[in-house]
Amino acid sequence: MRLSHILSEKPEGGTGLSSQRILIAEDEPNIVESLRFILERARFEVDVVANGAAALERLRRERFSALILDIMLPGMDGFDVLRAAREDRALASLPIIVLTAKGQASDRDAAMAGGASAYITKPFSNAEVVAQVRKLTGM
Amino acid sequence: MTGTLTGLKIRSLRKNAGFTQSALAGRVGISASYLNLIEGNKRPAAGALIVRLAAELGVAPSELDGHAERRLIEMLEELATDPRIGGKTPKTRATEDLVGRHPEWTDIILKLYRAFRDQSHAVLALADRLNRDPFLGESVHRMLTSVTAISSAAEILGNVDDLGQADRERFLTIVAADSARLSQTARALLDFFDNSTMRVRSATSMEYVDAFIFQSDNYFPALEAIADKHRGDMPPDGHHDTGTDLANASPESIRFAAARGLAWEIAENHVNAITDAHRALPTEEARDLARAALIGYVAGAVLMPYDRFLKAAEDCRYDLDWLSRRFRVSHEQAAHRVATLRRPGATGVRFAYMRSDASGYVTKRLPLPGLPLPRYGTACPMWPIYGAFQTPGITARCFGELPSGERFLFFARAVEKQPTQVGHPRKLLSIMLACPAAEAPRVAYGDGLDATGAMLPVGTVCRLCTRMACTHRQEAPLIA
Repeated sequence: MRLSHILSEKPEGGTGLSSQRILIAEDEPNIVESLRFILERARFEVDVVANGAAALERLRRERFSALILDIMLPGMDGFDVLRAAREDRALASLPIIVLTAKGQASDRDAAMAGGASAYITKPFSNAEVVAQVRKLTGM
Repeated sequence: MTGTLTGLKIRSLRKNAGFTQSALAGRVGISASYLNLIEGNKRPAAGALIVRLAAELGVAPSELDGHAERRLIEMLEELATDPRIGGKTPKTRATEDLVGRHPEWTDIILKLYRAFRDQSHAVLALADRLNRDPFLGESVHRMLTSVTAISSAAEILGNVDDLGQADRERFLTIVAADSARLSQTARALLDFFDNSTMRVRSATSMEYVDAFIFQSDNYFPALEAIADKHRGDMPPDGHHDTGTDLANASPESIRFAAARGLAWEIAENHVNAITDAHRALPTEEARDLARAALIGYVAGAVLMPYDRFLKAAEDCRYDLDWLSRRFRVSHEQAAHRVATLRRPGATGVRFAYMRSDASGYVTKRLPLPGLPLPRYGTACPMWPIYGAFQTPGITARCFGELPSGERFLFFARAVEKQPTQVGHPRKLLSIMLACPAAEAPRVAYGDGLDATGAMLPVGTVCRLCTRMACTHRQEAPLIA
């Protein structure tokens, strides 16, 4: 589906306004720029962190509707964040979309087995990311 | 097996030489009907008769004894049982026929097999490199990151209808910046491949060297002559230029290194002439390896003069401890020299020689007729070359009978070549010699062993071994 169609669709509920917050954990600023732009266009509120530890800290302190999590993060990587989140009762059911440059089946299996809600391989289409976030947040 | 090939070979050489059976028989002093029986493999030919036949047919007697063909048969059998080829194992008789009647095709098949193995090895090495090299992994990750940034920005630029001017400029900047990053990464990757010293070593170079040494019977008269002539040029002990590499080496290693240095000076041209001319060494890498081996040979010959060493070896019945003390060489050097005592007319006991590290990696080998040594992987776990690692410095020995019925005396010792760095595992090498059991009375290491009751049922490699019930078996046999 084209991005323009995705963005022009009205979220379910029909008001066109959302209070859903999405946290992006990604250390590549140019990728963050696009993700932030399209998610905001799709009426999400977006926050960004650049490492795994910061992601966990924000998730435990604030309320988010979903996490977009890059696997190759400096320090604590995406798999570590996924594990810690799933062991935390408050975050056990948080929708987590894993983003990674690793497209191998074994990595996808590892992420899904680790509790990821969805898995998207780089390079990805923005339309796909928006569709996944909407699906998982019920918007 | 050897006899079968001898008959075929005599017939083929006789026809090439244009002799009738009766003409050749007359020249070597036997009846035409007896020669017919020999050619039909119904009678053996050996000893003086082989020498006379060879002389009439214009070949060396060794060409008629079938040992070289037997080695080819062993190589073909190994090829046939290679799991990657996975065909039906031909009957031994068919293999013998191929080698005896069609030597050119045998040569082509073995060359093809070597090429196949080289290519498989290269592909595996390159795949492994691509999978594991951190620079390549990092570069691919960076490229994917840039491609993601570019494609995301391009998707927004191309698909969002009401994009404002500021956003348009922002995403165009991202496309430009990541395009530049992408080219940079690609260029670095290109440089990596251009400058890379990565070279996949041929898996078969050592095999060429094996063939070369086997065909030369591990004896090089020209090099022995040079060693004899220049032995007096060895610097006296204490005057060896040892360099820092040998700071911790044993006196024997220092002497051997000095002898190698001398060998380069006195024998380099001769060694090059031998390796450049030998048809068993078709690649530069194989010739390099053979040169290094021959320089070691000259060094051994300088320190252990053939005649004196042979006499001493016969006197002490190949007691390697005694020989190494007598000639002030290491156990390994004495063992290797023992395996070179093959001068026609002054031959010592013929030994197979094999050297392995503790992981089973074979670094030197010289097979014997009837005792092929594995080129890859490990040999029979029953051989003392492996047991010797359990008691370093002490000789492990046994009599062993192969499934073919041939019997050998095996003896091996694990030695430490260099002092070990604290915290590192000891670097042990196991050196094994083996001779036909019939020769054991000439060898001290057979003493006290019961050559009949204590004959261990051994094999060569599990894949080629028919001893189904062996508790040491590592993999299933591929031949019945």
